[in-house]
Amino acid sequence: MDLIPHGGATAAAVLAIPRGVAGAEKGRVERKEHVAVSGSGRGAVRVDLDAVFRRDYQLVVGVAARVLGTRDQAEDVAQDVFLSFGRSSVPAGEARGWLCVAAAHTALNLIRSGRRRISREEASAADDDAVVSDVAETVVTLEERSRVRSALAELPRKQAVALVLRHSGLSYSEVAAALDISPTSVGTTVRRAESALRRELIRHASSD
Amino acid sequence: MRHPTEGVLRRLLDEPAGVADADRQHVAGCHECLGGLASMREDAILVDAALATESVAGVDVDSAWRRLSTAVPAPGPARPAASPRASRARGFLRRPAVAALGVAVVLTGAGTAAANDWLQIFRTKQIAPVTFSTSDLIALPDLTAYGDVVVTGKVDVNPVRDAAAATAETGLDVPEVTTLPRGVSGEPVYQAGREVSATFSFSAERAARAAAETGRTLPTPPPGLDGSQVRLVAGPGVAAVWRQPTGVPALFVGRAVAPKAFSSGVPFETVRDYLLSLPGLPENVATQLRTFTADGSTLPLPVPADRMTTSSTQVGGVPATVLASRDRLLAAVVWVKDGLVTVVAGSLDPGEVVSIARELR
Repeated sequence: MDLIPHGGATAAAVLAIPRGVAGAEKGRVERKEHVAVSGSGRGAVRVDLDAVFRRDYQLVVGVAARVLGTRDQAEDVAQDVFLSFGRSSVPAGEARGWLCVAAAHTALNLIRSGRRRISREEASAADDDAVVSDVAETVVTLEERSRVRSALAELPRKQAVALVLRHSGLSYSEVAAALDISPTSVGTTVRRAESALRRELIRHASSD
Repeated sequence: MRHPTEGVLRRLLDEPAGVADADRQHVAGCHECLGGLASMREDAILVDAALATESVAGVDVDSAWRRLSTAVPAPGPARPAASPRASRARGFLRRPAVAALGVAVVLTGAGTAAANDWLQIFRTKQIAPVTFSTSDLIALPDLTAYGDVVVTGKVDVNPVRDAAAATAETGLDVPEVTTLPRGVSGEPVYQAGREVSATFSFSAERAARAAAETGRTLPTPPPGLDGSQVRLVAGPGVAAVWRQPTGVPALFVGRAVAPKAFSSGVPFETVRDYLLSLPGLPENVATQLRTFTADGSTLPLPVPADRMTTSSTQVGGVPATVLASRDRLLAAVVWVKDGLVTVVAGSLDPGEVVSIARELR
């Protein structure tokens, strides 16, 4: 409501409504993998929220944007994630990884539940060609990017999250810590995800 | 030597320094590994391009922080050694916290019951919600594994032109404040939201399957629970919000039809107790569930006792609950009368909110 003037995910978080859920829909909840949300301290705001927000907001938006393709929707996801974080007792040293994992999960959930604003993403993506590398521009069409994102949401969740975190710039050590796997497993997991997505691209390319 | 694993090769692309010298040396002289590496590099570039998005370098962090600040609850009580920075943060957060509280009290039913991945249970005639928020859900077993959650109605709380428009949309009169407290002035913004409902249908078969997947045994459902439903109805609701010149809310007055719960097949208590026994239910949610009582004493919000105090008073001839943060940053009063829940909340003293409440028309 207007008390939360920006509406969207912020209001949703306060009212505990995931955005875009109105209407007669069956629920869909992704089971957690490695996100440990602490229930303690509920109702309170952790004192380091401001500092962590300013340090990691851009990164968290980037993680969600890689999944969703649009920055504004990614910012909505980031709001939800930081709201949860603010109420959590996640250790400060694990905050960054927790936030990134939560952003990836939330964004993937949005895609899987079909609540993503597809037309908006495509409109936005159409404007993005300039930021894509020359190589990419020649090999990845807009449609392919959209398809890869859908395929991403169908991957085993750990693969998808590891992939997104790695491509968002987290180091192998950071990804490993966030997902509680070994750095070598990060390489294996990311590689599997990339292979699967490439197969997806090739499958469609050959059927065109 | 043996070829390094795919994982090692993949890391070599990104973080060569993270790969053992022996592996690096092997790859440098191994055509097979170099071929694999080249293939991986192509895939990595392709996927990176596919995941490319508009730049996030230009995000407005200050603006985003303000937005978040409207949604977070009140910070903790002042600490003796609080830094100036921390003090500023509290000052900044205090008024939006009022808004969050007010909205949550009046509209929690509407909002939460409508969430498709959220289950809320009310005791009839009480306003004690158990909130499985989105953050809790991250740690929850998929509730849809235990049955269906179907939402009817539309979560649509919007600003409306004036009090008359709010009434026209909801059928509820907006409580009218006779005298604004010191520091609050101007015209309020009016809000209106319509009725929504959610139905949770328990399925023993699905629940058993879900439990088996996690290696746990589902507690035996009580007779009659399978297929039974809990239907939750919330709203409509209206509210008036006065803002500070900066835009943050200073006073919130809201009223909504008290949330109701209907169960079919088995008594509500049976559903509640069974939910409590489900594997994976977070302790804090379980604790909230357990606080449901038959005497209506449960507070309408999960109130952290270390930060909030509660007391009782009377408003309009009925019992009301006064909530006050221990740091005295905000206060609210909530009561239920004739099936309507009303809240007055603000960055005010408890006495002030009670005074406003008693003078509402």
